[in-house]
Amino acid sequence: MTQTMTTVDVPEGTETPHKGGRAVRYGRAVPFFVVPFGLLFVLFYLVPIGYAIVQSLYTVERTGTFGPAREVFGGLVQYQRVFEDGPFWASIGRVLLFGVVQVPVMLGLALVLALLLDSGLVKGRRFFRLAFFVPYAIPGVIAAIMWGFLYSPNLSPLKPITSAVDFLSADFVLWAIANVVTWVYVGYNMLIIYSALLAVPAEVYEAARIDGAGPIRIAWSIKIPLVMPAIVLTTVFSIIGTLQLLAEPQVFRSFSSAVSSTYTPNLTVYATSSVPNFNLAAAFSVVLALATFILSFAFLKFTQRKGVQ
Amino acid sequence: MRTAFRAASALLVSALALTACGSGGSDDDASGGGTSAASCAPSSGPVTISYTTWIPGIENVVKVWNDKNPNIQVKVQTGPNGNGGTYQNFFNQLKANNTPDLGHIEYDALPSFRVQDGLFDVASCDIVAKAKDQFIPWTWNQVSFGDDKSAWGVPQDSGPMALFYRADLFEKNNIAIPKTWDEYAAAAEKVKAAGGYITNFSQSDINQFAGFTWQAGGRWFANDGQQWTVNLTDDKTKKVADYWQNLISKKLVSTVPPWTTEWDNAYNSSSAWTWVSAVWGANSIMSGAPKTAGKWRVAPMPQWSAGEDIAGNWGGSATAVFKNSKHPYEAAQFALWLNTSEEALALLNKEAQLYPATTAGTKYSYLANPVEFYGDQKIYEVFADASGKVTPDFTWGPTMTSTYANASDGFKAAVSGTGTLNDALTATQKSTIETLKSQAIPVKE
Repeated sequence: MTQTMTTVDVPEGTETPHKGGRAVRYGRAVPFFVVPFGLLFVLFYLVPIGYAIVQSLYTVERTGTFGPAREVFGGLVQYQRVFEDGPFWASIGRVLLFGVVQVPVMLGLALVLALLLDSGLVKGRRFFRLAFFVPYAIPGVIAAIMWGFLYSPNLSPLKPITSAVDFLSADFVLWAIANVVTWVYVGYNMLIIYSALLAVPAEVYEAARIDGAGPIRIAWSIKIPLVMPAIVLTTVFSIIGTLQLLAEPQVFRSFSSAVSSTYTPNLTVYATSSVPNFNLAAAFSVVLALATFILSFAFLKFTQRKGVQ
Repeated sequence: MRTAFRAASALLVSALALTACGSGGSDDDASGGGTSAASCAPSSGPVTISYTTWIPGIENVVKVWNDKNPNIQVKVQTGPNGNGGTYQNFFNQLKANNTPDLGHIEYDALPSFRVQDGLFDVASCDIVAKAKDQFIPWTWNQVSFGDDKSAWGVPQDSGPMALFYRADLFEKNNIAIPKTWDEYAAAAEKVKAAGGYITNFSQSDINQFAGFTWQAGGRWFANDGQQWTVNLTDDKTKKVADYWQNLISKKLVSTVPPWTTEWDNAYNSSSAWTWVSAVWGANSIMSGAPKTAGKWRVAPMPQWSAGEDIAGNWGGSATAVFKNSKHPYEAAQFALWLNTSEEALALLNKEAQLYPATTAGTKYSYLANPVEFYGDQKIYEVFADASGKVTPDFTWGPTMTSTYANASDGFKAAVSGTGTLNDALTATQKSTIETLKSQAIPVKE
């Protein structure tokens, strides 16, 4: 007993001041690092979200045609309006369809490009890495305007194609927008996947090669499973981005007669807040945020369960 | 999981805290709104007035005022046009209680600001009440909403409509200049046969259609003090919608989106031959279709029955004083100078081609000159004439942004072959009533 006590005591005796010193130093450093982030996070994230939730629970009352509006607590009245709003749910359906097609296409392309860059088959790796990434450096609005002109039936430099197929018509415009989004974000997603590939230790490949695996087999059985977390991450980002589509359809409204003021959920929010009906717009935003959260969370759960199996 | 829970509870706490703040704030608003109503007294000592507008070159006009009035200095801030973002800013500023003293608001948006209780009644300022007779009656009606005792802004400019047409092409193809809408439709067939379109139908800017309806006698909104009546489907509006639907269905008009490079191209490449537009359209053609210089002329707007002489209006705006202004008297004083004095009106016309809302303004010498782009025609004489023929009782609704957005969605669909303009108006009628109801604005169903 005593022996163990002493053997325990001795290191404790020597370590305690050490530990204590460390704790004090950490204690001072923690707020130093956390406060700037925490403050900004609270100010520009939690407070606006809280404010939106509060706004969404209010409704206006007034007397007479020009009576001043009074904001009164309305409970879930605004949410009832949200759930009765056909165009809003149609727009959710539209972006879901968009996401189901566009996200796999974009991430598939990003993955293929990342694997090609990593494979050593490509010369001028640095050049291509930059070239694929450049569209992401172009602001979304500018990219949309540029593509708008490319699609335009009368002004496009590709007039022989665009005058035969109207990319801005009701049938095609969703996919015309998907193409713009893909063009902008492929390079960005490729870079995330590519940096994950660079982090794979070379010994793994060596071992695979010794076992007789060719480049395609290595890509399929080693690289892709190892960068799966990066792919999951980019998918979650893309799901969020898809549900929040705003800039591209907003720009396309001036090019195409098929993009309505409620084409995507965020356009609905925007249109509602410019009525101005801030309470209803807030309720739309909260529902959209919840939908985004549920979808992203469900996807993460789904992939995690698959990972366990 | 635990962090998620913590985040959620933090959210809840901040939400509760905000509820407390929020309810306190709105109480203050209510009492403030009650007491500040309609007292327009001059301030003592020097004041600074803030003014937000999107008029190009406004700084030069304001400078003239500031040089002469050291005690009332106007600080001007420019932004995008109303529906392009400035109205949204005004609404946000109203919510946050930090509006400028003066704002540029188009006639069709004034009721929206009035219904948000954002405007100061400038008729309570004696100087404005006295100036009433200087304005063209229908422009005053746009700011008074038909109530003699109030004015929710000082009328600034107006957009009487007329027919812009390509004199060279009409002459070459031996087509008479249409005086009625029937003749216009007949001319459209001939223009099509000659390889052009008589005009481009403004599919997403509903204001042009509103101008047509205004001329035809359709009245979209009425307000009897108790409730609003929405009437986007009256017979006269239907007549106008059927008329244009017919031209669209027969492909006699082009339908490129307005205010785009494509639109400019349609006029610049002589594909569109006429444009029934407002006085400011003169400038749109000049800048959008430079290749057609000297070939355009202006004639009165086509009429629904031969022998009638009625014009529509498209656009026009007021300078409004916001409710929270601390110096409404001085703000109104500046707004009056800006919109009635010859020096200011001449400058506004030179910088931004604004067309005045005062009777005297339409007769000033700078509007009597021949315009080179229009083959030296004195085009403003046509518009001065039209300005006197705009019917005075067109009322805008209190949620035009949403009405425009919904009608524009429907018009766009009609133009691409889904439904008709009348379908769009029927749907907009319904959605407008919904929007009014969701804002608790009393409306007749």
